[in-house]
Amino acid sequence: MKIRLNPIVKKDLQVAARSMRLSWGLFAYEAVLTLAFLLAMMIIQAESGDVYGGGNVYSYLVYLFPVLAVAQVCIVALIVPILTASSISGERERQTLDIMLTTCMSPFAIVVGKVVSAVLRILFFVAASTPIMALAFVVGGLSWSNLFYFLLTIILLSVLSGSIGILCSALCRRSITAVILSFAFYFIIYILTYIPVLLRAAMGRGNAGESMLILLFNPTVFFEEFFMHIMTGDSLLGGTGYAFSRKEVGFLTYHLATGKTWMFVSAACILLLSLLFMLAAAWKVNPMHSSSGRKPGKARKK
Amino acid sequence: MLYINDLTKNYGSFTAVNHLTLHIPEGDLFGFVGPNGAGKTTTIRIVCGLLKASGGAVRIGNTSAAVGSKEMKRLIGYVPDFFGVYDNLKVREYMDLYGSMYGMYSRDIARLSDDLLELVNLSDKKEVYVDTLSRGMKQRLCVARALLHNPKLLILDEPSSGLDPRARVEMKELLKNLHSMGKTIVISSHILSELSEMCNSIGIMNRGKLVTAGRIEDIMHQLAGGTRIHIHIVSEMETAVRIMKEHAGVTVESVRENEMIISHGGTDEEICNLIGQLIQNQVILTGFHREEGNLESLFMQLTGGGAQ
Repeated sequence: MKIRLNPIVKKDLQVAARSMRLSWGLFAYEAVLTLAFLLAMMIIQAESGDVYGGGNVYSYLVYLFPVLAVAQVCIVALIVPILTASSISGERERQTLDIMLTTCMSPFAIVVGKVVSAVLRILFFVAASTPIMALAFVVGGLSWSNLFYFLLTIILLSVLSGSIGILCSALCRRSITAVILSFAFYFIIYILTYIPVLLRAAMGRGNAGESMLILLFNPTVFFEEFFMHIMTGDSLLGGTGYAFSRKEVGFLTYHLATGKTWMFVSAACILLLSLLFMLAAAWKVNPMHSSSGRKPGKARKK
Repeated sequence: MLYINDLTKNYGSFTAVNHLTLHIPEGDLFGFVGPNGAGKTTTIRIVCGLLKASGGAVRIGNTSAAVGSKEMKRLIGYVPDFFGVYDNLKVREYMDLYGSMYGMYSRDIARLSDDLLELVNLSDKKEVYVDTLSRGMKQRLCVARALLHNPKLLILDEPSSGLDPRARVEMKELLKNLHSMGKTIVISSHILSELSEMCNSIGIMNRGKLVTAGRIEDIMHQLAGGTRIHIHIVSEMETAVRIMKEHAGVTVESVRENEMIISHGGTDEEICNLIGQLIQNQVILTGFHREEGNLESLFMQLTGGGAQ
């Protein structure tokens, strides 16, 4: 059986590859990573004292990889919603979405195509950053498997950011509104998911209990766990001094937080959340699911 | 080919399409006419699966597929009123993109694209970026794109809007060409003169309702209460007027120096007999002709205006 590439992925990559924006974006990406690398080196030198004075700079160099990885993740988290938030609304603004919807492509295939093309573009950026990451590889503290896990993490976070962006793009008619709404979603997922945990802690229960489970959907916690896992082999949540009592917090929370399974369950939760966002976007894009719809007009003719 | 039955679309309390029932036979070039807000675009969007109807049914051919289903989409080629383009995409790639979206294989797309681009006179533009084409070329490319999956029904929403006169003529010729190939075509347009030249049948919509539909000549005949005939007379005008007035079913509308206009509700054979009778009574004629249908006047009569 012949596997077919989603036509939207092909088209988006074709169009992006010919655009000067990609070159400039790549340049900016590399520049930020280089700055992060130089900054990390400066801090390492400062922390280890005068290199010529006998300070052990090499023991600090293992932190180069986390610094560069965090920098990459932050940039990806910023870029992907911008790429995807303008995808559906951009098609709408160009008035090409209607033509797309009259073809045999399902709205879900359109949405998935848009997210995949954004993720592939990000992977292109990540691949281009290999020389800088290789510096961290050379100085140690990083194995091939770690690099592989890092790539998977980037893909996972790109899919989540992309699905947030695509949902906002489907909800908003204008690209700029979609970008702003995407960052509002970010605020909810990245920041507001801490609230139940903090509230419970503030209420003097001693620990966060089962309210911690909501953090399974928080990519920051996932990323922290990922780094603890690859740097020390331990779990961050299990090692932060939480006085977990299995009886009090329940079996699931206890085992997730004290064991090393949090990261994997969190990855599954984040993927599930992404899938829900994409399904919601496809629902919104599908004209057959709108009972009233917007009255067609000719006002947007150029 | 296209059966629309009791179609209704409401936007809150506003009814955009009000119990529309219409049948367009296979091979027809059907013109959808109506003032702004008449419900033409809404109807077209419902048929194409871009809008959910509040009520009624749409069927194409003998299929029982639901509107918006893949099966239905394969039967329709849609050309919107505005042609959106992607930067950095060539004509060949544009065709390939939409062919792939219909699940076609690259080999078939390439072969069909070549034929269709030739049909729309764009075969020399295959390697040109779409955004550099003129508006007329883009519109013809859009028609080629809509024909790529060989649909049974081609629907064009205001295909000539924004085109210069030359591009309009080219578009008109292209549509006539497609009609002669046996394609069923539905065109919504405001340019009535163009429609009357191209279409063999029309549907006039006003305020969401179908005012009338059918062959242009039939509608004219029905509305004018008969056929208007211009008779050019050199002498014996009084005799001619008297003969005409003697005939039941003939109304003398106007008499000028050398021309008499009559309206007649009878058949072509009866008109021939009438002319023969004039000649037998020594009335000297230089000619006579049936008045051509005027879609503008018909439209104004039915809707009270609103189109070009």
